[in-house]
Amino acid sequence: MSDREIHPFERMIVTISRLVNDGEVAATGTLSPIPAAGILLAKNTHAKNLQVMIYGDPKLRITDGLHEFFGLAHRGLLDLFFLSGIQIDRQGNLNLSAIGDYERPKLRLPGGAGSNMLSMMAKRIILFTLTHDTRLFVPQVDFVNATAKDETIPWRRGVLSHIVTPMAQMKYDADKGVIVLDATFPGYSTEDISNSTGFDLGVAGRDIPEVDPVTEEELSTLRGAVLSELRQIYPLFCDMIWGT
Amino acid sequence: MIGLLNSDYMKIRPDFKVIKDPYSDNDYVVVPPIVPDVAVIHAFVGSRSGAVVTDSFRNDRLLATAAKKTIAVVEELVDEDDVVAGKFGVYVSAVHVDAVVLAPHGAHPTSCRDKYGPDVAHLSEYLEASKTDEAFGAYLDRYITGPKDHEEYLQVVGRGGVK
Repeated sequence: MSDREIHPFERMIVTISRLVNDGEVAATGTLSPIPAAGILLAKNTHAKNLQVMIYGDPKLRITDGLHEFFGLAHRGLLDLFFLSGIQIDRQGNLNLSAIGDYERPKLRLPGGAGSNMLSMMAKRIILFTLTHDTRLFVPQVDFVNATAKDETIPWRRGVLSHIVTPMAQMKYDADKGVIVLDATFPGYSTEDISNSTGFDLGVAGRDIPEVDPVTEEELSTLRGAVLSELRQIYPLFCDMIWGT
Repeated sequence: MIGLLNSDYMKIRPDFKVIKDPYSDNDYVVVPPIVPDVAVIHAFVGSRSGAVVTDSFRNDRLLATAAKKTIAVVEELVDEDDVVAGKFGVYVSAVHVDAVVLAPHGAHPTSCRDKYGPDVAHLSEYLEASKTDEAFGAYLDRYITGPKDHEEYLQVVGRGGVK
């Protein structure tokens, strides 16, 4: 990778960092190097007052494992959390359990873990995905682990905010209750992204911008201060993207 | 449980019930408690009494307090007074532990914080072997049923990745 070449995951990290608001409490769970880097980048650039809680970070001393994170979410102390899944549909439903019929699945996954509760009890959820295709973005998920919004549940706090993929930034339109395309990434047209998505992204009649270019400051901070912190948490991911 | 309402868990788990919270009048899902017959946890240190120190990023104390029987695998046996939670440690009282097994590198091929990292090559081998019954059988023969004890297991795996 040459110095100016931007890895797709780097663009996702930068995109996520821009979606973080200063002053929020942002947390990431297991297997989440991209959002972890995203919130570290936000903290090191525009969101100095961000409170960052990265599960597995040796700087974060906790007392009771993920159980403790879940308790923070219950109490309403997490503003922003990140989830991913094997299927996501237009309504923003998330599947982490199985592909196909639940009793006779084509693929059985470890399951939803805390995703359902976190989607309800963190104030805002950003989904991140490592791929963008019609197997992932489907008309209807095979199993609903977590929903984007529920007006029927009075104690629910959380609403789906955005979805960040290697091709695009999408957002959840809470009024219409659907995911729509928000911005394209360089190298991908609106048509490319629509063709890779198994549902209507609401692009008709809308002018979809390309995301702003990654700035020198973002790139140097990511490859400097953020990378050195991230190596302490996700060494194998860092080796894979940036070398040893 | 906080959550679960409006998820498909409610379709596949008839034992999950919706009840009205008498304090708020809100609906919540209740689930039966998980009570493992046996929990096996890994700990940094332990003593003969059964007291151990586990990793604070994990939920081992929760497991130990939920299970009918708890076996703690420890990296090191120490005197009672030295079972003290360090920087990333959680103290688990002997009250919750039924057996302590001394097994240095006992978390292999996964990691033990500040002692050794994951054995990535071995984990890849395991992942590959798990794709067919035949390959997985060979894996079990070589690493699990083959070695006569933990010491021999460590020799077979070459303690690869152990720092």
